[in-house]
Amino acid sequence: MSDKVVSFERAQRRPDPARVQEFAETARRLQRERLESADVVARALRETPREEWPRLATRPDLRNSGALNRLEAEVSARLEKEPQEALLLSDLAASIAETLPPDSYPAVVLAQLRAHAWKDRAQALAYIGRYPEALEALDRAESRLSFGSLTHDRAIVRYVRALTLQKVNRFEESREMLAECSQVFRDHGDDRRYLYCGVAEGIQLYRQRRFRQAYDVFLPLLEVARQSGDLETEARLQNNLGHCAAEIDDVSAANMHLSQSIAAFTELGKTFEAMRTEMTFGRLLVTRGAIAMGIQRLHDARRSFLMHDMVEDAGICGLELVEAYLVSESPGEAIRLAREIAQQFLNAGLNERALLALGYLNQTFSDRSASIETVRHVRGYIDALREDPTREFVAL
Amino acid sequence: MVTTGSAPELDERQFEALYHEHFGFLVAVAIQKFRVPESDAETLAHEVFLSYLKDPAHVRDLNRWLLGAICHASRYYWRVNNRLSREAAEEIERIDPSTINILESLPNQIAAREALECLSPRYQEILRLRFFEGLSVPELAARLGVKKKYAAKLLTKCLRRAETLYERKGRRRLRRR
Repeated sequence: MSDKVVSFERAQRRPDPARVQEFAETARRLQRERLESADVVARALRETPREEWPRLATRPDLRNSGALNRLEAEVSARLEKEPQEALLLSDLAASIAETLPPDSYPAVVLAQLRAHAWKDRAQALAYIGRYPEALEALDRAESRLSFGSLTHDRAIVRYVRALTLQKVNRFEESREMLAECSQVFRDHGDDRRYLYCGVAEGIQLYRQRRFRQAYDVFLPLLEVARQSGDLETEARLQNNLGHCAAEIDDVSAANMHLSQSIAAFTELGKTFEAMRTEMTFGRLLVTRGAIAMGIQRLHDARRSFLMHDMVEDAGICGLELVEAYLVSESPGEAIRLAREIAQQFLNAGLNERALLALGYLNQTFSDRSASIETVRHVRGYIDALREDPTREFVAL
Repeated sequence: MVTTGSAPELDERQFEALYHEHFGFLVAVAIQKFRVPESDAETLAHEVFLSYLKDPAHVRDLNRWLLGAICHASRYYWRVNNRLSREAAEEIERIDPSTINILESLPNQIAAREALECLSPRYQEILRLRFFEGLSVPELAARLGVKKKYAAKLLTKCLRRAETLYERKGRRRLRRR
């Protein structure tokens, strides 16, 4: 009888040789296609006018898994700055993936290729605010994932859906989905995506002004980021924790988290992030009544911006200081600094509209009509000029 | 362990080695922990291997990734197939006291062996562990990776099946005579 008993010892179970062969051949093929497609895709996109990208779907050298992976990376790289291009590329990827012959890859692999192409299209649509279409694309992505082994891929798609649901204010659905995805990523040892889920949930809570809950969501993620050696996420988490702590009036916790965030960004060489965190920290301290400490932080941040010739950021930080001086009833300091900022903008040849706004601020100081609101208005305008350099200044 | 970060440098033999190294474990998890039938468990394991190929460079801990994938795949399997209806599950869970000593009451060791030979390999294994190796129910549960209560109920089901098959075999013999 013993020869009929199945042993569950790992070494004693022999896989079907045909399946091993299918796996090895697929692995080799995907690996080869990945290597070959990197240049092919980049060149095709470079040499083809943007409006003709859809025609690339018929090019034989782009109709493979490697090209689709490359397109996925291209979409991801363009989402923030060129979302329309990202949408075109994701359309191209979806078009290729959907028209690959059913026997071109094992069914599981083909399902992944199609689902990820639709997921990318959904992301691009969400970036340009076409949320209903994004949700439809996600439905399609999920419908392609009809294999039990694709739970990790399903969680990736659902993570994108959770972020999209946040955009249309379906917060509770989003949170439930993030919790579900988070568990799947954890089970697969995918710490990176597990962290993304937690950060997305925490940010949502913060936006809903549920600061204590947001703090509680962010805090345990710190350890995961540390264990996985992800210093950048750790720095951002410390930054988020600092903001939450400040909102719940825990100034010492805010101090600790933001200081650690600044140290981590500095260690990463992300000087700009470190300086911005320093400035945010100073502003938070001022708004929470720790004015002297806040002014010191703002001074440090402004000095760093100037050291790196970042006159515009130094100016915005300076205007935070001007406001702090007005709050602390030190108008002399405020007037001196407002003039200094205007002079620095002039010397650096910055946008004339910004100079006009600063001139207006200095004029209000001269005629004693300046207020905290005036300073905030001018600072908000100069900040907005970064996105829209042609925006006209309107006096209060 | 295969370091997945280096997946792009693997050659075909290494891919095969990876499959051989983990296949038995994945199938065992699907069968023992989730009671997926053997042939389906092997298919699930194969699909898990294929799905791993999408993005191997980002898998930091292959063992953990594969284990997570097979566990979720097994759960999905039951959700989709819905083979374990509530009634069937309750049937499996229910202990029938009359079956507890069936094996001891069989006429002799030969009869027991014949009965066992009629069973599926999975059931053979469970009865072998209990009655030939003498494992207690808690020990059996530990070996199978299931709860004690469920191990006891599984045992009952195995014994019932053995009894049915043995009786059927006996009837066929009588007819031949």
